[in-house]
Parts: sequence; structure tokens; C-alpha cells
Amino acid sequence: MLVPLSYNLRSLFVRRSATLLTVLGIGATVAIVSGILALQQGFHHMFTTGGREDLAVFLRPGASNEGNSQFNRERGLTLIKSVPEIEVGPQGPLASMEAYLAVLLDRTSGGLTNVPLRGVQPMTFAIRGDEIRIVEGRTFTPGHDELIVGRRLVAGIANCRVGDVITLNKTPFRVVGLFENEGQFGGEIWGDLDRLLSAMGRYGPNRVIAQLRPGTVIGSPDPMEVMFSDEPPEPEPGTMAARLLKDNVVPAKVYSEKEFLGSQTVMLTFMLGFIGLGLGVVMGLAAIFTAMNTMLSAVAARTYEIGILLAIGYRPIPIFLSFMFEALLLGLLGGLVGCVMTLPFNGVSAGTMNFQTFTEMAFAFRVTPLVLATAVFFSLVLGLVGGAWPALRAALMKPTQALKQG
Amino acid sequence: MPPFQLVWRNLLRRPLRSVLTVLSLMVAIFLICSLRSLITTIRSAADNSDPRRLAVMSASGLFVELPLHYQAEIERIPGVELTTKFQWFGAYYRSQQNFFAQFAVDPASMFKMYPECKVAPEAIENMAKERTGCIIGSTLAREFDWKVGDTIPLIGDLRPHPEDKAWEFKVAGIYHSDAPNFDSRTLFFRWDYFEETLKQGGVPPGVGVYSIRVAPGASVDQVIADVEELFHDSEQRVDCDTEAEFQRQFQSMFGNLPLFLSWIGGGVLIAILVACVNTMLMAMREQTPDVGILKALGFTDASMFGLLILQSTFLSVLGGGLGMLLALGTQGALARFLEAFAPGYRVTPETFALAAVIALVLGPLAGIAPALLARKLTPIEATRGTD
Repeated sequence: MLVPLSYNLRSLFVRRSATLLTVLGIGATVAIVSGILALQQGFHHMFTTGGREDLAVFLRPGASNEGNSQFNRERGLTLIKSVPEIEVGPQGPLASMEAYLAVLLDRTSGGLTNVPLRGVQPMTFAIRGDEIRIVEGRTFTPGHDELIVGRRLVAGIANCRVGDVITLNKTPFRVVGLFENEGQFGGEIWGDLDRLLSAMGRYGPNRVIAQLRPGTVIGSPDPMEVMFSDEPPEPEPGTMAARLLKDNVVPAKVYSEKEFLGSQTVMLTFMLGFIGLGLGVVMGLAAIFTAMNTMLSAVAARTYEIGILLAIGYRPIPIFLSFMFEALLLGLLGGLVGCVMTLPFNGVSAGTMNFQTFTEMAFAFRVTPLVLATAVFFSLVLGLVGGAWPALRAALMKPTQALKQG
Repeated sequence: MPPFQLVWRNLLRRPLRSVLTVLSLMVAIFLICSLRSLITTIRSAADNSDPRRLAVMSASGLFVELPLHYQAEIERIPGVELTTKFQWFGAYYRSQQNFFAQFAVDPASMFKMYPECKVAPEAIENMAKERTGCIIGSTLAREFDWKVGDTIPLIGDLRPHPEDKAWEFKVAGIYHSDAPNFDSRTLFFRWDYFEETLKQGGVPPGVGVYSIRVAPGASVDQVIADVEELFHDSEQRVDCDTEAEFQRQFQSMFGNLPLFLSWIGGGVLIAILVACVNTMLMAMREQTPDVGILKALGFTDASMFGLLILQSTFLSVLGGGLGMLLALGTQGALARFLEAFAPGYRVTPETFALAAVIALVLGPLAGIAPALLARKLTPIEATRGTD
């Protein structure tokens, strides 16, 4: 026969100051761990939303990110014309050369930061469709010194409103529009490829993007494997990726956009995951100690009652379960408090350096259901581990001794 | 004053609880020490740099190269004692996970500019003789087990070798640095090898950063203004700053990460304060009948107040002390682990002082509420007990 649950509920209520303090302690721990998770989710979300399978990204072989990749203009054009897998639209191949640069700009809060700057060709907008939405002003006119700014930058970076002027090296560019994109582009500044290249003194684009004909298999190796193995895996023989890597005229490395974006987040995702795990373990230990203390005290104060329960015929296992339930409930309450503390951070913008490209990225905390579920699970684990020993202690009491002691 | 023996006996009454409380305090103080050290380590690079050293980079940022002829022009500015140039190489060893910084430099002027980079005279000679010679930091040498005379093949991620193969560097020497502004996980190699190889491929390199040392007696601000003015109408405008400012700018790219670390520290503080108050309240509840007896025996309200405060202070001082020891003990391991991210990780005396203050304040603070309760109780109420 199980001990009625109301016994535990009442106990938590009667010892409410201890319950409250323990719940707060567990809550703070859970909040910190889920806050880091939310940061990682926000970062991951920014990079992976909008990553398309049917869009190919061409880089120079050997380059691991677009900042390090370089093509010269003629080679880029040759590539666009010579790859048969590229879809052809009414105005020619659906492909565009892009330059990826960074420019040092003032933060509104003072100081300078590297903001990603992308030079694109008109075809980019045809390929992207409504992934890039102008929300204020208009888009830039090709061939003019005009820029459009990702809306996530407006709050943090100076001179990013429509009508402002951003000077790139010595050429003034006018901001003519703001655009929205949930992915990485929403934290970038865009302008005409050739105007940006000449203003920044660069001679060629960094990458080529192209929409592929339906059914094309790229066949590039898993970017994660490429990053972490000493013997870089080769693309599947016979596929587009294998052919282009060995191309005599314009050798290139090709990924689907989705794979490419995934590969760009590996370092920071790994780092944040590691920080989250490390803090979770260390702070979790402290929270377990607190929970154990509370439960030990709860058991000790109720020695007499436990004696009575045993004397009237409750078996040790139901008593054990009863105290475990109480500990789990304590953990769960802590988890809920932690979730409530984390929720206000949803959408708060954060910025940090992408160690792979040395540019600052603007993104937002994302408290996803996954984050909340992990938080609750973590808090239950804390309650479970913290409650096990005290519950065992209660279950192993001798009725006569317990009655005498209490 | 309450008898100390009583404090001790009360703590030992529930030994497991005292131990658990001390342990959670230990973890908390350890975390606060380590998190703060991470921030101070990152900042120390800027705080320790030479105020007479300047860095010149393109006003558009580090991604844009400066022309080579700028060096001679900078040297003509009055007050400039010495210049040297750096360029980021951006290669990796075998796979991208083996990441470290490499720079093409002029060894002679670089060693003069950075006395904190300590290197044996043979290494300088070796490097002068060997075109592909490089010097590597002691940390890097340890990490990859590289020795003088070894050849290091690097894959040019940013700058591919024109013959489509790995770049090769011969280790001419290993440098040491204790200065927080000069990390020991970098590879420096000869500019002429860099420039001539890239010219083969038709892409001559530019300069990432020029370092300047301002002559003693010359005005640093004047030199900064002169450098920026000199290139105002040239093909690349420049940004000239003191080394400290340059480092700070680089660190500010960590974004609000340091801020988040402080939040975490704050969260830890709240969590332990709450835990300590909790423990002391529990202890107080159990000791209520004793308090009644002691009061009946004639102990004053004040001494009962002191009894509870002393108990919690003892716990927090013990836990805090252990936490500080743990932070000190793990310093070496953490420093090794964080080398790539925060080179020279060290827990400063200020951090220890802060931790000590927190531990000393936390104990009495956590004890106040229960101690006030103990003080208020009348002997009769107390002996009857609350539980």
C-alpha cells in the first residue's frame, strides 16, 4: 500500500520556508543552465534556418569558411557558365557571386566591432525570393553606392538607419533600406558586389551560390567529419562534388547551403555546449547538496511519524517511494521556477564573436520547448539524486527506534 | 559570547548536513573564483601592454590589408623609434580543429619590439639562416610535441600554397613568454618566405598590422594623430591606437559573453545564499529546545544570537576556504585547458580577496534571520519546541 501523496504535499507546505529556499536554489541552477542552452539554441537557429538543400555554395578548395575563400571574377563567371547542374532561369543561370567582408563600425554603446558585409549580384534576390524581405525603404540599385542593412543590426550598430551614411574605407555609402531575414543575413550589411569590392580594395568575390536543378546530388562529405579528422574524407566518386574538386579550369569545393551553414557553427556550438555542461555538473552538485540537506532535515523532523507509518503496517518500499516523490516534487518546483526565470530572456539579443570568421554575430536567446524540457528533466535529476539517500534512510528505520527517537 | 564548544557541538550534531553545506559553499566559491578569473585573464592582456607601443591597421578593419610601402612612410614620422609588420596567415595543421595563430613577421624588428617574447640567441641565428625557419611558442611546442629542427606542414586555409601543397616551416627555436599580452601559442615565420611564395602565385600579400614603438620623450598622442593624418588621403585609411586599446577592441568582439559570465556568477551567489539560509533555518529549528534550556540557564539573548551567527560563519569560512583552495589547485589544469581561448589563465590575488570577503559576509548574512528568531524566543516557548 502506498503512502497517500497528500502526506508529502502537506509536508512541503508545513515546512514552507525550507521548501521555498530549496526551490529557489534549484531554480537558480536550472535557470543558468537553461540560459546557456537558450543562447546556444539562438545561435544554432540563426545559422540553420533558411539553409536550403537545393542551393549550392561553391568555395575555393581548402577554404573552410567564406571569409577565407577567394575566386577571381573571371573564374567565378566561368564556374557559373560551366556547371551543368545549375538551374537556368529566364535571365540566365540562377547563380550569383558574393563577397564576404567585414567592416569595423561603431557600436551604439561605444567601442568598435566587426560587422559582416556582403556584396551580392542582382541574381541573388531572384534566388533568395522572399527569404530577404525589405521592411523599410527600398533595396539598393545595382552599380550605386548604396547599402541595405539587416534589421537585427539597427539597435546595436551606429548609422544603420535609412538615410544614414556608412563610409567604407573612403567611399561613402548611403543606407537605403532595412531588410529582414531570420538566418545569418539578418545580421549583415548588403550592397552591390562590384561597388563593395572596389571600395574595399578587393579583387574578387569569396564564393558563388547557385540554385541547382531538381534532383541534383552534390555528394560532398559531412562537414563535421572534415573538421575533426586528420585525413579529410573525399567526396563520393562520380558526384558533382568529386568532379568539381578536381576540375582543371576552376576547382571548387561545393556544399549544399544547409550543410555549409551547419559547418559554420561547429566551434561555437561546441564551446557553448561545453560551458553549459560544465556549469551544469558543477552547479548541479551544489544544488544536489542543498536538496539532500532539505530532505534529510525533513526526514529527521518526521522520524516519529515514520515510526507510526511503519508501526501501522506500511512497508519500507512505499515509504521510500513516498520520500522520493517528495524530493522529485521539490526538484520539479525548482525546475519550474528556473523556467520562469529563463523565459524573460527569450528574444533578448546577444552578440558574440564567431571564432571561425572573427566577425561579430547578432542573435537572440531562444527559449525553445527543448530548452524547457531539458530544464525540467535536469531539475528532476537533481531532486532524484538529492532525495535518494534521505529516502533510503527513512525506509530503513526501525519502527520502535523511530517512535522512541521522535 | 557563546561558548565555542557549543558552536562546534551543534555543527557536529548533524555532521552530514554540515559537510553538505560546506561542500556546496566550496563549489560556489570555486565557481565565482574561476568565472571572475576568466574575465580578468581576458582583460589582463590589455592592462599589461606597453603604453608606448602602437598598432596601425586599416580603418575598415583587420580584413583589409595595408600596402607594404606604408612602413617606410611611418618610419619618417618624428617620434617613431621602431616599426615592424605582421600578417595573419590563417592555416591549420592537418585538420581545422588544430587551430592556432600564425603570423608572417620581420624577425629582427619583431624581437626588438617585443622583449616579452623570450627566445635563445641560437634561435634568432637559425631563423636568419633558414628561409622557412619559424619560432613557436612553448605552449604550442608542448601541445603538438614539436622540437627544434622539426618540419611543420601547414595547410593554407586563407592563403593556399601556389603549388597546391602544404606550406612547410622548420622550427628554428621555441619562445617563452610570461606576459599576459603575448601568448605562447603562436607560430612566427619569415616575411620574405611568405611574400616570395605568394608572389609566385600572383597574389602579393599586404600587411595586417604595423606595430610602432614611440621614442622616449615623444608624445604618444601626437604620433597617433600624425599616423592617421598621413594616410588620410592614401589608398587605405588607417586606424592607429595604443596596444592596450587594440587588444581591448579585439576582446570586445567577445560581445556580451563577459556580461553573461557575470550573470552566472550572480546566479551562483543567489543560489548559495539561499542554500545557506536554508541550512541555518533548519539548524535553528532543531536547536530551538536547546536555546530554551540555555536561556533558562541564564545565557543572554545576545549570546544566543551570536551562537547561530558563529555557526553559519564557521561553515561559510570553511567552505569558502576550501573553494579558494580548489580554485588554486585547478589553476594549472584550467590554464592548460583554456590556452586557446584565454591564454595565461590565473586566479589573481584580488579575486581571492573578493572570494574571502564573500565567504566572510555570507556566513553572518545567512545566520541573521534564524539568529534573530533565536534571540526573540522566550525560554518557555523554546523548550516547548516548534516542530
